[in-house]
Amino acid sequence: MGVRDTQKQATRGRVLAAARDLFDAAGFEATTTRQIADRAGVAVGSVFTTFASKAEILSQVMVDRLEALYAELERVAPHLRGPTVDRLRSLMAIHYSFEMRRARLFVAYIAASYGWPLDGAVTPLGQNKRLQEMLGEQLRRGIEAGDVRPDADVPLFIEALLAAYFWNYRRVVQEGADAAALTAIMDRQLGLLFEGVAARP
Amino acid sequence: MNHIPARILAAPGRPLTRRALAKLQTRQRVLNAAKALFTERGYEGATIRDIAAAAGMSTGAVFASFSDKSDLFNEVIIADYEATLDAMREAAAREAGTAGALSALFTVAYEFHLAQLPLAQAGISVSWSRSPAAEQRNREGLRPMIGLVSDVLSRGVERGELPHDLDVRLIGEMIWDSYLSNYRRAAYDGWALEALVDRLNDQIGVILAGSRKAA
Repeated sequence: MGVRDTQKQATRGRVLAAARDLFDAAGFEATTTRQIADRAGVAVGSVFTTFASKAEILSQVMVDRLEALYAELERVAPHLRGPTVDRLRSLMAIHYSFEMRRARLFVAYIAASYGWPLDGAVTPLGQNKRLQEMLGEQLRRGIEAGDVRPDADVPLFIEALLAAYFWNYRRVVQEGADAAALTAIMDRQLGLLFEGVAARP
Repeated sequence: MNHIPARILAAPGRPLTRRALAKLQTRQRVLNAAKALFTERGYEGATIRDIAAAAGMSTGAVFASFSDKSDLFNEVIIADYEATLDAMREAAAREAGTAGALSALFTVAYEFHLAQLPLAQAGISVSWSRSPAAEQRNREGLRPMIGLVSDVLSRGVERGELPHDLDVRLIGEMIWDSYLSNYRRAAYDGWALEALVDRLNDQIGVILAGSRKAA
């Protein structure tokens, strides 16, 4: 890698780290690219040679976080034991535990993804393919194990589960809920949703 | 939008003073202008200065009725909740079963908000970043609508369609969140009324599937 490329990579890394901290502290709208540049110790111009917009910076911050989260999940998922509903609970608990370490950042991301004007650079939620696949895998194991109905509408179940998972984060804004509170609610919601796909003995 | 919420009016039987009436009219002018600008420019894009100008008054006059932009936005959204509530209640009352009643009341809501989609979107976005005080106020405004969903579910329990130990609150919240989540489809993928309603019906089906089995 040439000197220029190395510098560009370094700038990119600093900008992403600065943006992550600022979005976490103050949210998306309130954070300016100038603030990001200042904190990263780079010129505002440099920010824009690497990223097209503030929204793109946020998207990249979240993509990078996903790498860390999925490394953790992929380690854990094959070793999960017990009834399918409990394996699903474990996966969702890991999500809450991870994201709640930077709760404001995640909430800022959700807010931005509904933001105005629509910005294609902020990836719409719920399109997280890896999570859908991971959940789908657990349900397939459940069908094989006999605690999930073979004719269960798996995609619809996963969609409902993901909707509940994301919208639970509103309780962070509304009630100052922590990871434990969100997990407790998710556990009940999962139990409820799972009744619709559970195999009868 | 001329609907004046009952809570704003003076005690029943007592006529409004001219001053109070003037204040109400000012308030309504500001709300109308605010709604138009929030719809056109979103929450961040609309300023108090522009809203005041559009209403033909000073920013001072706006601040006499509303504490800040967040407060003003909240009141626009809540006025819309109140405007749709009666129609939603009537639509639900016309249906025999729980699924039908829920579908009917949310159809009214979707139809209303699709006509002003940018505002609905702004409303959802802002709800993720409100202050606790604004959140409290919004929750108050939303209560009758959430109550309507709970009523429909409770009637289902009474009819034996749903189990007696149904967690009405949890299910009501999940249904409400599903309703909101579909605005993403409208905004990003251009889904129209029928598609949104069909999707919500499927989601409600999943949410109630386990409960129905237990009934």
